[in-house]
Amino acid sequence: MADNVRVNYGKLLSRILLYFAVALICLFILYPYFVMVCTALKSRSEIFAMNGTIFPIDVMWSNFIDIWQKAPMARYMLNSIIIAAGSTAIAMVCGIPAAYALARMKFKGQTAFLGFIIVSQMFAPVVLLIGIYKVMQVLGLTNSLLGLIFINAAFNQAFTIWLLRGTFLSISAEMEQAATIDGCNRIQAMMKILLPVAAPGIVTTLIFIFINAWNEYTVALCLISTETIKPLTVGINIFNGYNMIEWQYLFAASIFAIVPVVILFMSIEKNLTSGLTAGGVKG
Amino acid sequence: MKQKRPYTLLNKAEPYLWILPSVILMAIFIIVPIGFVFRMAFSQVTKAGLVKGFCGFDNFAKVLKSAKFGMVLKNTIIWTIMVVVLSTVLGFILALILNNEFKGRKIARAIVVFPWATTLVIQASAWKFIINTDYGALNTLLKSLGIIQQNVNWTPTPEAFFAWEIACGIFVTIPFVCFTALSGLQSIDSSYYEAATVDGASYWQKLFNITLPLVKPSLTVATVLNIIYVFNSFPIVWTITKGDPASRTDTLVTYLYKLAFYNGKQGEAAAVSVIGFLILLVCASFYMVSTLKKGDE
Amino acid sequence: MKKIIAMLLALVMVLGLAACGGSSAPAATEAPAAAAPAATEAAAPAASGEKTTVTMIAAQYGPKTGDWWADFVAKFNEANPGVELVVDVVSWNDIYTVVNTRIANGQAPDLLNIDVFADYQADGLLLPAEEWCSAETYAKFYPAFLDQSVVDGVVWAVPDLASARAMYYNKDILEQAGVAVPTTWEELTAACKTIKEKCPDIYPWGIDMTTDEGQAAFAYYTWGNGGGFVDDNGEWILNSAENVAAVEYAVGLVNAGLTNSDPANNTRYDLQDLFCAGKLAMMIAPNALSAQAGEAGVNYGFAAIPNNSGTSVSAGVMDRIMCFDNGQSDEQMAAITAVVDAFYDDEPYSDWVLMEGFLPATSAGGEACAAADPAMGAWIDIVGSAKFYPTAKAEWADVKQGVIDVEQQALLGGNVQELLDNLQAEIAG
Repeated sequence: MADNVRVNYGKLLSRILLYFAVALICLFILYPYFVMVCTALKSRSEIFAMNGTIFPIDVMWSNFIDIWQKAPMARYMLNSIIIAAGSTAIAMVCGIPAAYALARMKFKGQTAFLGFIIVSQMFAPVVLLIGIYKVMQVLGLTNSLLGLIFINAAFNQAFTIWLLRGTFLSISAEMEQAATIDGCNRIQAMMKILLPVAAPGIVTTLIFIFINAWNEYTVALCLISTETIKPLTVGINIFNGYNMIEWQYLFAASIFAIVPVVILFMSIEKNLTSGLTAGGVKG
Repeated sequence: MKQKRPYTLLNKAEPYLWILPSVILMAIFIIVPIGFVFRMAFSQVTKAGLVKGFCGFDNFAKVLKSAKFGMVLKNTIIWTIMVVVLSTVLGFILALILNNEFKGRKIARAIVVFPWATTLVIQASAWKFIINTDYGALNTLLKSLGIIQQNVNWTPTPEAFFAWEIACGIFVTIPFVCFTALSGLQSIDSSYYEAATVDGASYWQKLFNITLPLVKPSLTVATVLNIIYVFNSFPIVWTITKGDPASRTDTLVTYLYKLAFYNGKQGEAAAVSVIGFLILLVCASFYMVSTLKKGDE
Repeated sequence: MKKIIAMLLALVMVLGLAACGGSSAPAATEAPAAAAPAATEAAAPAASGEKTTVTMIAAQYGPKTGDWWADFVAKFNEANPGVELVVDVVSWNDIYTVVNTRIANGQAPDLLNIDVFADYQADGLLLPAEEWCSAETYAKFYPAFLDQSVVDGVVWAVPDLASARAMYYNKDILEQAGVAVPTTWEELTAACKTIKEKCPDIYPWGIDMTTDEGQAAFAYYTWGNGGGFVDDNGEWILNSAENVAAVEYAVGLVNAGLTNSDPANNTRYDLQDLFCAGKLAMMIAPNALSAQAGEAGVNYGFAAIPNNSGTSVSAGVMDRIMCFDNGQSDEQMAAITAVVDAFYDDEPYSDWVLMEGFLPATSAGGEACAAADPAMGAWIDIVGSAKFYPTAKAEWADVKQGVIDVEQQALLGGNVQELLDNLQAEIAG
């Protein structure tokens, strides 16, 4: 009896500790965003005032409205969504089969290919600009969203393939083999048996590619010159002018830029937590 | 025999067909541009960016002769190690916390995505704004809380600036590590833990004997890619200091960016990136040799 | 072992591809020659079709620049149905990256609005101004401005606007501290010390030695001490005694705690924000600060930059428009000339200059601006007597980065004489 009570206390303590830790971490992570929101609500003179305050004195909600008039924000956002979604789709369509082959088949050059993928990541995009521009020129894709979609898909192949390969390897091949005997071909077996079980890995990969493509800046800057097809990252540069940085607008626009990513994350997050059905994992 | 042959040929070719789309994608959009970098590194390039023919290792010689290169390389290594090690440890701990069942977990996880969902340029701008001596949010906050009376200069030395940049780098890298680790944690079968609990294992025993070994594969891949991404990271340092003062906070990428686009020395800039590439290649080779060997066994 | 071989294979693949890239090099190496016909071919269908396309990259001076160009393009294309003008407005942070990437790929724009021209001219990429600028427009420029874009006796670019620097001061702070507006270095040092004593929360003097614009600080102090980048014959004299003393003086102000806290990282924009918030008493800034300070309600004044040599020198900055040699057809050249003429047409041009608070580069524009705003008149006099950076010299990019590096090393405690000696040796050979 006494033993039982002690266990409960211990459990309670660890729960409290857990909530405390989570709250602390969230506060810490949110601090820069708190600053961004407060700054976005200040007037320019208040931002640089001698004795600044944490919260705005005159709350300038108009800053959040002004940016939509000062820049085609909706257009930028749509472009970013197209680029991020397109890149994610292409990266997955190319990456899943490659990861599947690496996890489930034996072939010559397998290791070399894995090495090649890593090697492909070793140059910073800044360095590759000139070459990328040349390729796009040959393909007629400079100043087009499609070009950016391909670039982002290619940049994210390494992570896609490596992570999915790891996920696939950790899942037993037995069920797929059984399905093959039942008359499924390889593609069907992969689609119907493997992919549902690998959902957490796939969701992680999806989020990763989407966010990377959403945030890509350097290549978009160089390839896109038409105002109407600029993604958000490049577009909001308009508030970063020659004479001054318009902090309030820059931060207001940036807050809008986070929203779609967070919505996407919230909507597919349950797949990340749902875990695996017990039978599918290799013992 | 004759009939079977095309069948086995197809069988042999099959894996290559599966990887083909990926290979084409990377070959066109990454490998060809890399080819241009190599060409530039071995060519004389004018200030306006025209390639004027082969010049051997001239660009490399100039880069290695420069007094700053050693310092920049050292910075890059410190930057990479600090950001990768600390963000991996912290990200993993965060993943362990978020792997618990608790109320509001969904919201907590969404919050952790924030630093990742923000463009690096903006994230770095926000940090620069926060640590500013004269109107920074950190000073305002501490003054309001009564912790300090006067504005504090948080960046009195180049080293202090660099430390803040590293902190910012860790901050934006944690979510990446956290979610990679989390997906690994999710795929661990709970029956392991149940069995261990029955055997009387403590929390730490379970962590080191079950969790870590099972998460390791996905975490090592993430770490290798992380090393590469962090090594080549550009926006944080560029936004906060541009490598000032006198290259004390430069990493290879910001250094070569200045070489290429401020000094008009694109050949030398390409040479710097080839050197960086070789360093990464050596590091990655060690990793590949050690882990892939294990995987094959 | 197999794995090592695999890695080597991967490396070989990369090198192999690099070699492929290398073998295709000759085609691109002849860029000026080879790219020219290619560009003509690309343009030919457009010409034989309906419209002649003129491409342009323009620098983004501020939030209004984009709108101004959009408006200009719309009006121009409407007035010239046979021409299609396409203008990309790019921020200063990124314009060099964008332009160099385009040039390296043989995709130079027809017209470019930027600050430097010597590197492009050195590669033979530019057309002389008289080939694309009508005599009528050409006659509008201040001759002293055109001189800044001369190499080998030929004018390669025309000024689009100018800006001059003067010392801005906060009248209220100076009054509170009881100091007069300083005109010499001695007075400046004394004034700074008094301000620091009387108003400890205020930075007396603003210095920007950042990668952004550290070369400007070098210019202010060396020109004010009778030194400078080049001598009368246009030879580099970076390590002259005057220059060493000038840099030491500026760094001395920093070390004495009389300036903003971190000159190696506080850009001029940071300083301007401090000035407008009343936290900085004096700084050197362009005329654009007037509008910003006025808006912020600062009681400001401006005066000549304090000097040590008896003659005050204003620092002028000038941006340019240039035309790339893309092997344009006659129709295209005519279209380019039309664009340039339309740009310098009095009405849009004075709009352009006033838009972000710059100074005009044409005499007609000068008169129009002075008439619109009497304060501009004083500035137009200042810019008329200003010195400019030696941007026409091929080594300028290296010198600019070099002096910034010297300043920053000096701030960290380096020996100015040694640093400048090394830089001079490196630049002048």
